[in-house]
Amino acid sequence: MAALSAPAVLFTVGMIAFPVVYTVWLGFQTFSSTGKQSFAGLANYTKLISDTEFWHGLWVTIALFVLSLALQLVFGVWLALVLFHARRLSGIVRSLFISPFMMPPVVAGMMWLVILDPSLGAANYVLQSVGLPPSDWLASPTWVIPTVALIDSWQWTPYVALIVLGGLQSLPPSVYEAAQIDGASPLKTFQRITLPLLLPTIVTAAILRSVDLLRFFDIIYITTQGGPGNASNTLNIYGFRVGFEFFNIGYASALMLTLTAIVFGAVLAFNRLRGAVAW
Amino acid sequence: MTPRMLGTQFMLPLLAIAAIGPQAHAADFDWMKFKGKTVTFLANNNPVAQALLTYKADFEKLTGMTLKVDGYQEQQMRQRLVTVMNANSDEVDAFMTLPSREGEQFAASGWYADLTAMSKNEVAKDYAPAGLSQALLKAATFGGKLTSMPMNIEGPILYYRTDLFKKCGLDAPKTIKDVEAAAEKIKACDSAVTPFVSRGLKPAVAYTFSNVLHNIGGSYVVNGKSNLCSAKGKEALDTYSRLLRDYGPPGVVNYSFQQISALYRSGRAAMAFESSNELRTVMDGGARLKDTGLMPFPAGEGGQVPTTIGWGMAVSSHSKQPEAAWYFVQWATSPEVQKKMALQGIAPPRPAVANDSEYRKWIDEEPVRKEWQAALDVLATKGSSEVGYPIVANPESREFIGQAVQDLILKQKPVDQACADADKALDGLIAQK
Repeated sequence: MAALSAPAVLFTVGMIAFPVVYTVWLGFQTFSSTGKQSFAGLANYTKLISDTEFWHGLWVTIALFVLSLALQLVFGVWLALVLFHARRLSGIVRSLFISPFMMPPVVAGMMWLVILDPSLGAANYVLQSVGLPPSDWLASPTWVIPTVALIDSWQWTPYVALIVLGGLQSLPPSVYEAAQIDGASPLKTFQRITLPLLLPTIVTAAILRSVDLLRFFDIIYITTQGGPGNASNTLNIYGFRVGFEFFNIGYASALMLTLTAIVFGAVLAFNRLRGAVAW
Repeated sequence: MTPRMLGTQFMLPLLAIAAIGPQAHAADFDWMKFKGKTVTFLANNNPVAQALLTYKADFEKLTGMTLKVDGYQEQQMRQRLVTVMNANSDEVDAFMTLPSREGEQFAASGWYADLTAMSKNEVAKDYAPAGLSQALLKAATFGGKLTSMPMNIEGPILYYRTDLFKKCGLDAPKTIKDVEAAAEKIKACDSAVTPFVSRGLKPAVAYTFSNVLHNIGGSYVVNGKSNLCSAKGKEALDTYSRLLRDYGPPGVVNYSFQQISALYRSGRAAMAFESSNELRTVMDGGARLKDTGLMPFPAGEGGQVPTTIGWGMAVSSHSKQPEAAWYFVQWATSPEVQKKMALQGIAPPRPAVANDSEYRKWIDEEPVRKEWQAALDVLATKGSSEVGYPIVANPESREFIGQAVQDLILKQKPVDQACADADKALDGLIAQK
């Protein structure tokens, strides 16, 4: 039996363990601009501490993570409730809501780049036609993070909604019947029954989205490349540039391993939370 | 034997043999020498490669070789190259490269095969390597080694709306100050139009900014130190960022060639300082065909020093078949292929092709093409290929130039602070060996 499963085990180890071990090894090397390599010990990791761009990237990553996750959870739950109670054309409505996250992020990024163009885009046209001032959107250091969070939320809120909808459909009807007999209002029913019972599902959705949000890359790469200035330079974007544009593969590996540790930490924290809210 | 005798009796015959050497080799040249082999070409999916690969079947028919094309967008192509080269892999035989950007770095890393000997000894009769732009060949030579052959010639030029200039009572700008004065007048004359647009996206800024810096008389490095805080450097930073901040479109800090071409093509910009390669895109649809004038960026106190670069075709140092790869490079940069590409709007890096009757006929079909070619002629004769710092870490240096310009556009720092911060970071890069 062990012999039969050996190829699968070897394949898995090869595909998962090797890249990780290789990246760890790279993190202890230093590469000059000309690609010359030498052992650096912990130098890449100590460099992180004094690298202001790293701390800025971490801040941007966390800000995007918190803002996007909050938007997607709040609107995802709301959307799931709407879909759950929709009676007419529910199939069509659900298909329409799903469509954003079926779209490749690059396409979504390009589409929003055009819509949000301050000169030619439709967004400012709409704002101005209702008497509001135009915005620089992705070109404003102040607004770039909220704007990117909005784009990501447009794309991924339906995904959260689908997960929550699954959770809603699995809730026991008897609890709602009891609440109805007791005369609970819809708001109280939501606060005291739906939300607590849905929490494990919501935390699961949060875990799934957290992994993506902490590794935020594609939308930013397409729309701002980390700019304006370094206002949207997430850790992932920073690591990519250090590695593939400046060819400092060793430092980029250290950056990416640090990001991986942050992602693992977040997942572990959410898993603990999930255990605490399970019923 | 006196030195003079040594020169006349010994050296001169040697030089004569060297001079006729290529012809002797050319006579033996056989395009079918590597028949049956497969050459892998790592291509950037830009208009240059697209035009070239239209004739892929011709190459395969001529040589009996198979051309395997591995095509990506520019940045992804570099990522692929870095991965392949760091692994010392022979997966790629020939690749496209931008010597002005990565030349120093790739040469120092040993990624380019030395083409010096092959370009002299292993050439077809009609290849004429001396007919290629000498400036571009020089820009592709590092440490005495020729690392790539020029595929095209390009550089930023000024596209301007002749109808708007006429409407606002303006003549074509002759100096940088004229550009700013024209922008100011157009802003007052037609508020629906963006007076001036150019690159504001951080990594893209150096391409256009370098032209302004050089025209103003500035330089990136003096005595081994970054020079942005010199009077000329500050003036260039101030002028470029002021043009974009006061007369550019909102959100210009995210503008690169796509946005600039789209804005100008749609008729919403009066002046666009953008690559000569964008002519086809800008003229797409024909709306700008009759109301556009073209010229190199007007002179400053330092004269007119346009930025002139070109994509090159290199052979990988890890290729197991560099000679076969060289045959592909030679075919791709031959006068015949470059003439065909020129008729698709790819500016030829060979003056002879630019003077070819069929190409001239194509140029003469539209006045805007004539101005385009005239601008390219200036680029070919006066151009500098210095885009960003002439150091191994050139791509990284462009980040700091772009940062300084963005700091000024967004009014996040005064010019003294922006240039000082950039100089500090750039001195660190220069110090890296």
